[in-house]
Amino acid sequence: MSAVSSWVSETLVRDATERRIFAVLGLITVLLVAGVFAGVIGPRFLLFQIALVGMYALLSLGLNVQWGYAGLINFSVAAFWGIGAYCAALLTAPNSPLGLGLHPVFGFLAAIVVSALIAVLIGIPTLRLREDYLAIASLGLAEVIRAIILNERRWTAGSSGISGIPNLMSWLPLTDAATTAAIVVVLIAVVYLFLRRVHRSPWGRVLRTIRSDEDLAKALGKDTYRFKMQAFVIGSVIMAVAGAFYAHLNLYIDPSDLVPLTTFYIWIAVILGGTGSNRGAVVGAAVVIAIREGTRFLNDIGFIQTLGIDLAPLRLLFVGGLIILIMRFRQDGLLPPKDELIWPAARDGSRSGGASPSSAAPDGGTAPNGGDDR
Amino acid sequence: MNDDAYEGARLDKDDVVLKTTGLEKAFGGLVATDDVSIEVDRGTITGMIGPNGAGKSTLFNLISGFYENDAGHVTVNGEEVTDLEPHERARKGLVRTFQTPRRLEGMSVREAMLVGPGPQKGESVFSLFFSGSDVTEEERANIEQTRELLERFEIGHLIDQPSTDLSGGQMKLVELARAFTTDPDILLLDEPVAGVNPTLANDIKRFIRELNEEGQTFLIIEHDMPFIMDLADPIIVLDQGKVLMEGSPDEVRSDDRVIEAYLGGAGP
Repeated sequence: MSAVSSWVSETLVRDATERRIFAVLGLITVLLVAGVFAGVIGPRFLLFQIALVGMYALLSLGLNVQWGYAGLINFSVAAFWGIGAYCAALLTAPNSPLGLGLHPVFGFLAAIVVSALIAVLIGIPTLRLREDYLAIASLGLAEVIRAIILNERRWTAGSSGISGIPNLMSWLPLTDAATTAAIVVVLIAVVYLFLRRVHRSPWGRVLRTIRSDEDLAKALGKDTYRFKMQAFVIGSVIMAVAGAFYAHLNLYIDPSDLVPLTTFYIWIAVILGGTGSNRGAVVGAAVVIAIREGTRFLNDIGFIQTLGIDLAPLRLLFVGGLIILIMRFRQDGLLPPKDELIWPAARDGSRSGGASPSSAAPDGGTAPNGGDDR
Repeated sequence: MNDDAYEGARLDKDDVVLKTTGLEKAFGGLVATDDVSIEVDRGTITGMIGPNGAGKSTLFNLISGFYENDAGHVTVNGEEVTDLEPHERARKGLVRTFQTPRRLEGMSVREAMLVGPGPQKGESVFSLFFSGSDVTEEERANIEQTRELLERFEIGHLIDQPSTDLSGGQMKLVELARAFTTDPDILLLDEPVAGVNPTLANDIKRFIRELNEEGQTFLIIEHDMPFIMDLADPIIVLDQGKVLMEGSPDEVRSDDRVIEAYLGGAGP
């Protein structure tokens, strides 16, 4: 138990403000759970929302690798997400245009391979150039992918979409909603631990240098193109995995979600959460989804009904207002990055004064004054 | 000044680390670097001076690979590096600093220093998962080296500071220390004391001299005449993209052509 509490105090919650942020999040969670027991919220609905938040969190983690770690401006989040979703749908749904009906594992594998390939193809011409070129090219890529999916009906079913995508792991003794929620939690945990390990390392450090001053990194002998390509591919693959997961969550996909708005929701999540921070990416995604989905019910509140105005379509306004508030009062986002990017296992004993005797494992604790997770 | 006045640099050195031959670079109609051939001898502190617009920074960018040259060659330890990328030249032992160091946002001084050594095992994602203990070992050694070097440069107390909080002079010191961690054969310093207060400038001079006594070769651009005259020997003088002359500080100081170049003489 003490291990858990020290992990929380050292890696998750760093200062009083963060404690307040987590307290609010905790309170909202308690209210939602209470709502389920009170019968106001259907458990199935809540589990679906959890899975949705998890999927957005994966997308934010992916974008955080690109923008937060390396400073790469990727405006094709929706495209990589769509590539993942369509790989899963086309390979696994029996009535997709390909009609293969394969096991979902193949959908995920295809999502990873195809997204990595496309990331490399778009990276080769743009990552050697100034950073704005990737921004422009990725904006173009997003539209090209959407247009291909919309128009190549023979292969993608076009705007009618693909239905009949199978549930994941339906053999588990849980409801389908609970299974998908559990799977997304596992996915996030795996991605999060992977990113934590690669970020607090010489690799993450070079990326952070590139983000601030790429010429400096070059002058110190770092092959910045290689590092940027790796960050771009890793981020894109995470986005595609989120897409593949979404196909199995929603069981139906069509190209209508591949619009730039989806990309910008993810950007908002990363910036709200704290650019460069993995914790922030997850929390930012939760906040964005809470606003987007929560505003659907605003009109059902009696008091607002009597006003006779339709509030739900104003959700973008709420997102905008929140961003202004955050930028005014907490410029670096809700949970900004805190750590030095130093391989945790190497810190112990090499710090002056009161180094913590905590675990030497890279994923274990670190010195209390040095901080830990991002 | 007439063309005969351009004597060029000395090209008969024994142990050449860095050599340029006929380097040329034009920006549109402006010839910024015009047939520059220089040699830097191992173990020296070679200075490079010249009036504004003489092409010093352009030459640095050509040597370090940040600009592509129109003609000519650059060799490091006798090896041709003309077609290499900046990071590849750095790996060959040719490392530069910048005139106006950008602050590394969100990085502590320790982190900023640790970017220097390389290539590090932990820069490969694969190694992070499959040879973690090697990464740990190397990182420990690098942290130790960082601490020693900062203490040696008398800024050990800054190690935990955000690098954005440093003064300009402290940043220049960190830059020098970091560039040194790459274990270069030749360090190119671009105005190491520009905007630095005199006390700190003296410290920087002392540290450069110390490193030099241990064998480190330097090529330094500097506008601060007393500083460079005191530190460097020989000194190469550039003017209008060409090498005007090369000599000891005394020779440079008493050379009419140098005075004319700086004062913008009336011509022959």
